[in-house]
Amino acid sequence: MASLSTHIVTLGAENLSWWERFWFRESGSTFADSTDAVYNYIFWVSAIFFIPIVGMVIGFGIKYRRSKVGEVAEVSPSHNTALELSWSVTPAILMAIMFFWGFKAYLSKLVAPVDAEPIYVTAYQWGWNFDYADGYSTNEFEEIAANPESPIIPVQVGKPYKMIMTSRDVIHSFYVPAFRIKRDIFPNRYTVLWFETTDRITHYFDEDDKSVVAIDPDRPGYYLFCAEYCGDQHSQMAGRIATLSPEDYNKWLEARKDTSGINLIELGELVARKNGCFQCHSVDGSAKQGPTWENLYGSEVPGWSPSAAVAEGATPGVAERGYIVESILYPNEYARPGFAIGQMSSFLGQIEGRELDAVVFYIKSLSGDFAAQAEQEAAAELEQQLSETEGDG
Amino acid sequence: MGHHDRPYYASKETLWKTIWSWIYTVDHKKIGVMYLCAVLLMFFLGGVFAMALRAELWEPITNVTKQVQAEVQATDDAGRLVYENGAEVLVPVLNDDETPVLDADGEPKVEPKKNDAGQKVNAEGEPLGDPVMTPEVDADGNPVYEEVIEREGELFKGWTSESGTVNSNNVYNRLFSLHGTIMVFLFIIPAIPAALGNIFLPIMLGAKDVAFPKLNLGSWYIYIIGGLFAVYSLIAGGVETGWTFYTPYSTSTNWGSVTSMVLAAFILGFSSIFTGMNFIVTVHKLRVPGMGWFDMPLFIWALYATSIIQVLATPVVGITLLMLVFERTLGIGIFDPALGGDPVLYQHFFWFYSHPAVYIMILPGFGIVSELIAVHSHKRLFGYRAIAFSSIGIAAVSFLIWGHHMFTSESPSANVVFSALTFLVGLPTAIKVFNWTSSLYKASISWTTPMLYAAFFIFCFTIGGLTGPPLATLATDIHLHDTYFVVAHFHYVMMGGTVLAFLGGLHHWWPKFTGKMYNENWARLASILVFIGFNITFFTQFFLGTQGMPRRYATYVPEFELLHKISTFGSWVLAIAFLMHAVVFAFSLAGGRRAPRNPWGGLTLEWYADSPPVEHNFSHEPLLTHGPYDYDLVVPPGWDPADYPLPDPEAVARAHGH
Repeated sequence: MASLSTHIVTLGAENLSWWERFWFRESGSTFADSTDAVYNYIFWVSAIFFIPIVGMVIGFGIKYRRSKVGEVAEVSPSHNTALELSWSVTPAILMAIMFFWGFKAYLSKLVAPVDAEPIYVTAYQWGWNFDYADGYSTNEFEEIAANPESPIIPVQVGKPYKMIMTSRDVIHSFYVPAFRIKRDIFPNRYTVLWFETTDRITHYFDEDDKSVVAIDPDRPGYYLFCAEYCGDQHSQMAGRIATLSPEDYNKWLEARKDTSGINLIELGELVARKNGCFQCHSVDGSAKQGPTWENLYGSEVPGWSPSAAVAEGATPGVAERGYIVESILYPNEYARPGFAIGQMSSFLGQIEGRELDAVVFYIKSLSGDFAAQAEQEAAAELEQQLSETEGDG
Repeated sequence: MGHHDRPYYASKETLWKTIWSWIYTVDHKKIGVMYLCAVLLMFFLGGVFAMALRAELWEPITNVTKQVQAEVQATDDAGRLVYENGAEVLVPVLNDDETPVLDADGEPKVEPKKNDAGQKVNAEGEPLGDPVMTPEVDADGNPVYEEVIEREGELFKGWTSESGTVNSNNVYNRLFSLHGTIMVFLFIIPAIPAALGNIFLPIMLGAKDVAFPKLNLGSWYIYIIGGLFAVYSLIAGGVETGWTFYTPYSTSTNWGSVTSMVLAAFILGFSSIFTGMNFIVTVHKLRVPGMGWFDMPLFIWALYATSIIQVLATPVVGITLLMLVFERTLGIGIFDPALGGDPVLYQHFFWFYSHPAVYIMILPGFGIVSELIAVHSHKRLFGYRAIAFSSIGIAAVSFLIWGHHMFTSESPSANVVFSALTFLVGLPTAIKVFNWTSSLYKASISWTTPMLYAAFFIFCFTIGGLTGPPLATLATDIHLHDTYFVVAHFHYVMMGGTVLAFLGGLHHWWPKFTGKMYNENWARLASILVFIGFNITFFTQFFLGTQGMPRRYATYVPEFELLHKISTFGSWVLAIAFLMHAVVFAFSLAGGRRAPRNPWGGLTLEWYADSPPVEHNFSHEPLLTHGPYDYDLVVPPGWDPADYPLPDPEAVARAHGH
C-alpha cells in the first residue's frame, strides 16, 4: 500500500518529536512552535478533565449497576455548594490562561516587521499569482493534488515576508499548515499576512535548468492550500513554499527576470500557466468552462466584430490576433456560441507587451494550419531580439 | 371504553377518515409523529449523501501517466478509411461545369462521398458512423506506444457540470453541500424540539395540548413547504455552495438551484419560529396546577431555552437569506463587492443566527440526557437548578459569540473580543457535564439502550466540548480554522451530542408514544456499533485537522490518505448500525410487546399517561404530588412498592438539607 508508506515517511520526519509527529506537521515558521505550545497546554488541560469524567461514568456505571429488581439508589446529597463552586472556578481560571496565551501568540502573527519583504498575491478560481517586489512573478510549477499548475513560491530562508493579498473573484484563503497561519482573501479588498520561515533550506537553485529543485524529495517544502471554499477546483488550488539560501534566492530572482531569451511560443505557454488560463481552457480540444485553444486561431467567430480597442487590423468574424487580444483584455465584450459572458475576468494591465504577443503566438501554434507559420515567426522574432541585445551591448 | 379512552392514533371508521384525521389534526402528538417521520426521512437522505462523500474521499485524485498502445483508423486494402458501416467511397471532385478537378500531378482529385447533411456515406448512401480503430504499428510491424495522462481516484468519473468542467469535484461539492443543508435545516434543528418536543412537552407539563394547536399544525405545513423547495433544488441539480451560502460565491455561481435552497431555509425558519413561540406560551400558561418553574422536568427547561433562541435569532437569518435572494435575482448589491456590497457583512448576519442555532441544535439534547440519566438510574439529579440555569445561560451567551466563526475574515480587534466571549459558553456547558456525571454516584443504573446513549453522549459531547477551546483560542484557531479539526469538532457536538441524545430519547419514549416495546438487546448492540462507528469516522479527523487538511476538499495530497481511509471505513460501520436501529424499530412496530405504562420507572408526568396516551393525553387531569426527580421519596407510578423499597425519609431529608 503506497499510501501507507507515504504516510509513514511523513510521520518519520527526523526533526519532529514523537508528540509533534502525533498531532502536527513540522514547524516551518517562527511562530509555529508558540502556536503548538498553546495547543499542547489546552490538550493536557482537556485530558486532565476528560479522563476523570469518563472514568467516573465507567466506574459508577459498573459499581452502581442495577443487577436485579428491587435495588434502589442510595441516598446522597443532590447539591454541594463548595463542590459546584470549585468545578466552576477552576475551569474559568484555566480558560482565562488559554485566552491570554492564545491572544499573545496571535499578536505575533498579526503585526509584520517593518522590513518584511512584500509579495503581492492574487487569488482566483482556481489558482494563485505571486508578484514579487521587483515586479516579476514566480514562474515555477509542480503537480500537487492532480493540479500540474500549482505554483512554487521561493522565499529566502529566515527572512520575513508580507503577503498583500486580494482576490479576482470570490473569497479564498491563504493557508500554510506548516506555518500555522491563515487569512481570508477578498475581492475588492486587501488583506495582509506575514511569516518568517525556520532555518531549514528546502530547495536549491539549479543554474543549468534555471529552476528550483527540492533537496529532499520526501520533504519538498511546505504546502499552500486554499482554505475557503471557492467552487469546483477548490481542493486543487494548491501551491508550494520553497525556502532557498540567500545566494540561491538572489540567483533565482535574477534568472526569472530575463524572459527575453525565451521563444514567444514557450513564453506564451508560461504566461498562460502563470495566469491560470488552463483552469478553463484546454489545449487538446477537451471540454472545459471556456473554449478550447486547439485550432482556435483562424477559426470562425460568428457575429464577432472588433471593439474599438482592437479594431486596427482585425478581421470581423475570424479569430486572429485582434479577437484573441480582445478576449484577454475585454472578455465580456463577446462570448462564442455555447459559452456565457461573465465567466472570465479581464487581464487588462496584467498581461501586456511581449507577454501578450506571446500568448497570441502560443494559441496560434496550437492551430494545425498556422503552427508552422507561428514557429517561423517566433524564431525570427527571437533572432531579431538577440541581435538587438547584442547591438546594444 | 369510550371514544376518549382510545389511543391518540387509533384509526377512524374509514381509511379516508383516518388519513383526514392526520392531515387535519391539531393533536400535538400526531403532529410530533409526522415531524418525526419527516426528520427521520431527512436524516436518511442526509446520511446517504454523507456515505457518498466519504466514499469519494476514499482515495485522492491523481494524474497517472500511462503507456498505451496507439490506435489509428483502420484502412482497407485500397487505402480507404473504414467505418462502422463499411469503408468510405471516394468520388471525383467536380468543377462547376462537371469536369473533374485535377491535382498538381494532373491526376483527378477524389473526396469521400457525402450526403446532403455533410455526413460521409457508404455505397448504399447510408451514413458511415464512427470510425473503426486498429492498433498502430510502425514500419517494422512493431506496436507503437504513446503516453497518456489518466485521472485516477475519481469516483464520479465523467460527470459534467453545467459550466462544462468535467471532473468529479463538482459532484463532491454538491454532496457535502446537500449533506450540510439537509442535516442542519431539515433534520437537526427540528429533530428534537419539533418531533420529540411536540409529543412530550405538553404531556410533561400535564397539559392537553400546546397553547396554539392550529399554529402548531401550521408550522408543520410550513416545514413541508420548505422541504418541497429543498427537494426541488435537489432535483434541479442541487447546490454546491456549502450550507453557509457564503457570498460572493453563492451569488456568482449561476448553475444549480441555490435560490430555491436559500428560500427553503428561509421558509423553514418560520416553522422554527412558530414552534418556538408555541412552546414559550405553553410553558408559561399551561403547566398543570401546582407545577412551579423548578418542578419542571429539565427537558422542558432545555426546550424553553431553545425556543427563546428560535424566536429571537431566526428572523435575522430570514432577513439575511431574503437579501441574498434579492441579490441573486435582482442584482441588488448588498454582499457582492462587484455590486458594491460587502461579503464579510453576510458572514456577520449569517452567524448572528447560525451560532445561536448551534444551541438550538444541542440544548434539547442536553435536556434529553438529563431525563435519561435521572430515569434510568432512578436518581435525583445532582444540581437541578444549576442544570436549569445553565441552559438559560447558554442561550444568553450564544448571542454574543458569533464572531468566532470569522477569525480569519473579520477585524483583529473583533477577534480578540469574540475569542474572550467564546470562553464564557464553556463554563455552563462544563457545569452540566459535571452534574450529569455526579448524578451517577450511588445511583441504581439500568444499562438500557437510552442509558447507553446517555453515557455515549457524555463521552462524545465532552470530546466535542473540549475541542472547542483550541478553536476559541486565537493562535490555535488561525491554524485549525476551516480544517478537518473543525469538521470533527462540530460532528462530535452535533452528532456525538445531539444525534446520540435524539436516539437515546427516541428509545426512551418509544414505548410511550408507540405503545410497543423494542428488542433491548438488538438495540443495545446497534447503539454500541453507532458509538464505535462514530468514533472511528470522526476521531481520525482531528488528526487530519491538526496536520492541515482543509475542509470541503474533493481531493487531497497523499499524506492524508490513510486517515481518510480509516474515516471512510468508520462511516460504513455507522451505516450498518443505523440500519440495525431501523430494523429493530420496524420489528417493534410490527410485533413488539405491548408497552406497560412505565417501563423505566420514570416520575415525570408522561409516565402517568397511558402507553400510548389517549387523545387528550390524560383520562383524568393529573395531580402534581412530587418533583420530577424525587426518586428517593416516591415509588414510580405503575410500579409495585415491593419492587421499589424507599429509603428512610429522615436520611433523605438529611442528605438534601431539609
